[in-house]
Amino acid sequence: MVRFLTRYREPLIVGALLVYPLVSYLSSGHRGREPNFADRLILAISSPVQAACTWAFNGVGRAASGYVALKGAHEEAQECRASLAEAHAAVNALKEAEAENARLKAALGYVEATVDQEIVARVIGLNPTAQFQSIRINRGEDQGVRPGMPVLTPDGVVGQVVRSVGGSADVMLLTDASSRVGAVLQRTRVRATVTGLGDGRRLSLNLVRREEDTRDGDEVVTSGTDGIFPPGLHVGTVHDVGRPAVGMFLTATVKPAVDLARVEEVLVIPVALTLPAAAVTR
Amino acid sequence: MKFLAFTGLALLLLSVESVVVKFLGLEVTRIDVGLALVVFVALRATTVEGAFTAFAAGYLLDAFTGRPTGLYPFLAVLTFLLVRAAGQVVDGRSRGGYALFVAAATFGHALLALFFGWLTARQGGGAGSALAGVPLQVLLSTVAGVALFPLLKRIEPGDHPEPGGLR
Repeated sequence: MVRFLTRYREPLIVGALLVYPLVSYLSSGHRGREPNFADRLILAISSPVQAACTWAFNGVGRAASGYVALKGAHEEAQECRASLAEAHAAVNALKEAEAENARLKAALGYVEATVDQEIVARVIGLNPTAQFQSIRINRGEDQGVRPGMPVLTPDGVVGQVVRSVGGSADVMLLTDASSRVGAVLQRTRVRATVTGLGDGRRLSLNLVRREEDTRDGDEVVTSGTDGIFPPGLHVGTVHDVGRPAVGMFLTATVKPAVDLARVEEVLVIPVALTLPAAAVTR
Repeated sequence: MKFLAFTGLALLLLSVESVVVKFLGLEVTRIDVGLALVVFVALRATTVEGAFTAFAAGYLLDAFTGRPTGLYPFLAVLTFLLVRAAGQVVDGRSRGGYALFVAAATFGHALLALFFGWLTARQGGGAGSALAGVPLQVLLSTVAGVALFPLLKRIEPGDHPEPGGLR
């Protein structure tokens, strides 16, 4: 036995290095494992490097574009003033709607789940493999980020946290092939499921019946039915609506509301679901 | 010692790469710097040391994905063995030869990753759309490999790997 092991030492070692991860992969599939000590160590070392590189790249980018940005600053400022005035008017209208919303919720007996302060995080890196679409942020377990928490920007939904260790976390983007979001079409209130296509640019609108009035340009928002994303968050805009000759459902793609390849700052939302009282009190 | 140097370098390169691809705004294209390292050790290092280095590079890549499954260590060691076998037939120790090996390995690695992703994903895993990024990925990885070549050569100058693949 010892002679056998000694004689075939190299093939045995290489074989073990080949077979062990394959068995691990086939047994866990696409789900992935919980972070172990080695994973935590790797992330603890790499996150500061990524943060430093991000800082350096941002600095160089800002310096290069600084002078260019000054050109036309006056015109831009005037445009901003005009936009601000419009925004003030819109905010006033929304305040009215919010007050009305609160009255209606009180009348219906809705229960607001506790919403802690959202966590502001900076994107420090992209996943270096193309098969999983995810980003790394500079807030993690230590700051209260937990797997499953929704991540967004003021423009809309980014994705959800899939792993959180120490001072960093990984966020699966909406465009990942494993991503599923419960959604509703804002104009028609038709429910749908939005799935990632894995190409980094588009999402797929699923489970919408072909006879529904769905058009290019319809806005898609979260429905809150998936238990992860709070309702009413902007997901994207419907494109390429098609009604195949056979089948119950129409086909359409959704352009994400957020430019996921260039997102820099995000908000992580600690559980923020709003549920009817009847759903939480039995 | 060389194993540690290569692993440390792989960790550094992957950290930098994850930032660079973000700033370039790449969606499904990546720069396979870890693979360039695997190809290099396959062509120059001893079998056991090279296999451990390939495993470590794959493990690091796996850890960076956010959902480590074991796929990338497996693919890295498989690539190591295939490149090593091909290296017995075609000389890949010059800069040009090495670049060709990196290009071929990146292409094969990307296809295998897509295949295994498709095998285990619930709805095809977006394999078709991800294929669009492969040509640019091959180009960028080859350029990165060529740029890294002098540095890698300083760590492992080994011009005489033992003959006969695993023997």
